[in-house]
Amino acid sequence: MKSLGLLGLILALVPAAAGGSPYYMRLATLALIYMAWTVAFNLIFGHTKQLFLCLNALAGTAGYVAVVFAIQLKLSPWVTVPIGVAAAAALGALFSYISVLRGLGVIFLGIVTLAFSLIFHNLVLGLREFTNGETGLVTRGLGFPLLEQPVASYYIFLAALAVALLVYHALMSSKSGMAFRALSDDELTAELSGIDVTGYKVLAAAVGSAILGLTGALFAFYNGIVSPSVFSFVGIDIPVLIALLLGGMRTRFGPVLGAVAFALIEEAVRPFGQLTVLVYGVLLIVLFTAFRDGLAPLVARASAAFRGTRAPATASRPAREA
Amino acid sequence: MSAILFDGVVQGLQLSLLAVGITLIYGLGGVLNLAHGQFAVVGGVAAALLLQLGFGPVAAALGGIASAGILGLAVDRTLLIPAYRYRGEERLLLGLILTLGFSFIVDGTLNWKFPEFSLSFQLKVPLIEVGGIAMRTASLAASLIALVVFAGLFAFLKLTLAGKAIRSIIENEVGAELCGIDPARTRTFIVCLAAMMAGVAGVTQGLFSSLGTEMGPEFTILGLLVAVVGGVRSINGTLAAGILLGIVNAFASHYVGAYVAYIILLSFAMATILVRPAGLLARFT
Repeated sequence: MKSLGLLGLILALVPAAAGGSPYYMRLATLALIYMAWTVAFNLIFGHTKQLFLCLNALAGTAGYVAVVFAIQLKLSPWVTVPIGVAAAAALGALFSYISVLRGLGVIFLGIVTLAFSLIFHNLVLGLREFTNGETGLVTRGLGFPLLEQPVASYYIFLAALAVALLVYHALMSSKSGMAFRALSDDELTAELSGIDVTGYKVLAAAVGSAILGLTGALFAFYNGIVSPSVFSFVGIDIPVLIALLLGGMRTRFGPVLGAVAFALIEEAVRPFGQLTVLVYGVLLIVLFTAFRDGLAPLVARASAAFRGTRAPATASRPAREA
Repeated sequence: MSAILFDGVVQGLQLSLLAVGITLIYGLGGVLNLAHGQFAVVGGVAAALLLQLGFGPVAAALGGIASAGILGLAVDRTLLIPAYRYRGEERLLLGLILTLGFSFIVDGTLNWKFPEFSLSFQLKVPLIEVGGIAMRTASLAASLIALVVFAGLFAFLKLTLAGKAIRSIIENEVGAELCGIDPARTRTFIVCLAAMMAGVAGVTQGLFSSLGTEMGPEFTILGLLVAVVGGVRSINGTLAAGILLGIVNAFASHYVGAYVAYIILLSFAMATILVRPAGLLARFT
């Protein structure tokens, strides 16, 4: 909890360091959004090994539901955002439940969720009268004036990240955290020791999807426009996967570190334009083959060395299967 | 009506060519190749470059197919080595991510080097009439090529010793190894062969329509859907599923529009995974 508070304090001071530059404020806000998404993906993929390749569709469902309901039914975003979050959570829980029920492995769940991503995009493009197709909808002036100011938005997303991290902390320090650790080691053994594997997997998926949805819905209002390209596979799933690997799976601060590192890398390759996709590919390959523990253990070791204590040995790498 | 059917079959055969490679690599290598469409695009782009250099259409097409094969060989011998160190689920996951990363590298490189590029063999396309349907000869030629490739593949798998060895590995890798078959070498061969078949699909795409550098992901997804519906371990199933989905797609695109057609295809694949994970035709193969 102390380190959570310290992290919050550091992040809360960022706007002062940015000195009111709208460009840096937007970068910092985007980094917060990716942090929250990565915390969610850590819960879903890191802890319960469910390969969701539909993060864009879950965040996008919440975003589109919140915006379309606000426009069509003239509802306040205070009502529609929770509806969007609930929709995302329900979808995530549904995929998780179906995958456990049908015994889908990592790969088949990956294909099913990837198919869902594509269905989501074709639905958005096809339901032109609600979503305005490729062009998208303008979300300015729909009732979230605070999300139209750079500094206020930053603190709103900081609050969302804090909620995500607190929920994560609460889950991991309770009985469910123990269950997550057990089932990520060996599902069958966990099941045999009386852990409700299905229940905990669905719980992780639902909570993760709710975090994805909350951030996605707020992002839709913050961004000023929702269009299919705002919630794209290459724009959300790939960066989040890279950020999670970069920071370290199954660690508390890995997602935060990873998202910051990823934001810095992305800023560095921005001048090269079309090369970003290529860089994503190289990062995925290098991280997955050579750097599977991520930054978090390195930072933990460095801070332990700084305090003069011996670092705990890293044991997060799963044993190779024979 | 029958023109739509014909279009569907032509498109379906192309999809089968892609999907059968995904099936073979999955069955033999235990890797779900998410860069398969990119093999097709590389094959097509290489053929187009050879055309620009002044080679004849046939030489260019063969060169394109060979380049796809060489790329497949390189991927198997370098990129996938870390994945092959593991077995089962761990290998699948690593293979999935590595090939996904590789597909981004190919897409990024192609978009950077050849933006707004498209391959089209500028052949004169006379229409001929068969059974009352006006067909473009180019579409007919593309389908014939696909059928010849499939016939060759079936003959190879059923009749030759190497083909039997391959089928034995798909059945049981450990058992095959105990019989003296080297899975690693066979795997390399299959990845290379699968990449070349994708190359054929890429080149023939340029024969009856045009091929752009951005089409890799779409090819991969469609090939994946067909492979899933056909059963990711069954080759006959893949051929049938390709033609079936091609026809479904052609009719759906014609009557309800492209978006809905795509949603129908995707739901079809999703439902197959959930209801018949071994493939729609699993019982018959």
